[in-house]
Amino acid sequence: MKFFTVLGIVFYAVMIMLIGLTLIVFALNLLVPADINNLLILTQSSHNSRVAIGLSGVLLILISFSFAQVILGKFQREKTIAFATSSGQVTISLSAVEDLIRRLAGIIPEVKELRPNVVANKKGIIVQMRVVLRSEANIPELTSRLQDITKSKIQEVLGVDEQIIIRIHVAKIAHDEKDGRRKKDFEKEDRSTIPFSGYGRV
Amino acid sequence: MNRDESRNELGVLRIHKNVISSISSIAAAEIEGVKRVGRDLKSGLLELVGKKFSSAIKVDISKHEEVKVQIPLIIKYGYNIPEIANRVQENVRLALEKMSNLSIKEINVNVQGIERGEE
Repeated sequence: MKFFTVLGIVFYAVMIMLIGLTLIVFALNLLVPADINNLLILTQSSHNSRVAIGLSGVLLILISFSFAQVILGKFQREKTIAFATSSGQVTISLSAVEDLIRRLAGIIPEVKELRPNVVANKKGIIVQMRVVLRSEANIPELTSRLQDITKSKIQEVLGVDEQIIIRIHVAKIAHDEKDGRRKKDFEKEDRSTIPFSGYGRV
Repeated sequence: MNRDESRNELGVLRIHKNVISSISSIAAAEIEGVKRVGRDLKSGLLELVGKKFSSAIKVDISKHEEVKVQIPLIIKYGYNIPEIANRVQENVRLALEKMSNLSIKEINVNVQGIERGEE
């Protein structure tokens, strides 16, 4: 862990402890509001103390800002798959992998909707998929096929040797509207072909 | 340092970072399989306010005049990403060396996404 990160963590721990102590002292009635008022009046009366407080405020904001950047940067770095080549580094955003998997929904007609979530950690690449299937699909066969296709596609496109774990969650089995419409049309056609079917009706 | 500088008997030649960025962008887009150069927050905001051709390519020039380029990319669906990234790195290196005589330290490629849309 970097020195700055440690410093930031220690700083926040100390600050939270101080706030906690103040609250405890206040709850035990050891600190009277008048004392706080006196302290504030004392600090405001002197020019030097006001400057010191103002500078401390700026410093606190700067520390918080840089600490937030360190944390966010760390999170951002973790959201990529990286490998080095002779010319430099190549990083692949996990959202790019998600885009790639999303395109697979177009290849398999039984899959109506597909929402992937990709995580890369020490275990390898973990793909979690939430799928909506069409009603005629055989789930065990289809999910197994989807896992195979996704795995081979990731290996083919990314060229990685890492372990790929694919978890599928079938969220919904959707009724195929096309099929429904087709049935209705067929029924209509059937009725219209019956001779003299319109006669005798008022 | 904002620009690369070289001196000859007649004067100084400065190459702005934007020039390096533009060369890299064109060279990257030449490779088949590259949809376009990606965007970052800054270039997205600049495009919103109407500034066109704002590139998200980051260029760093060290004190020893070594250039480090970071290229965000959107790749077309169906292409092998490591192969495309390698070809982009090579093409950008060649283009920069040919056009600017700069010493290239690193060309980092960041694949931001796969082309979306109709198949």
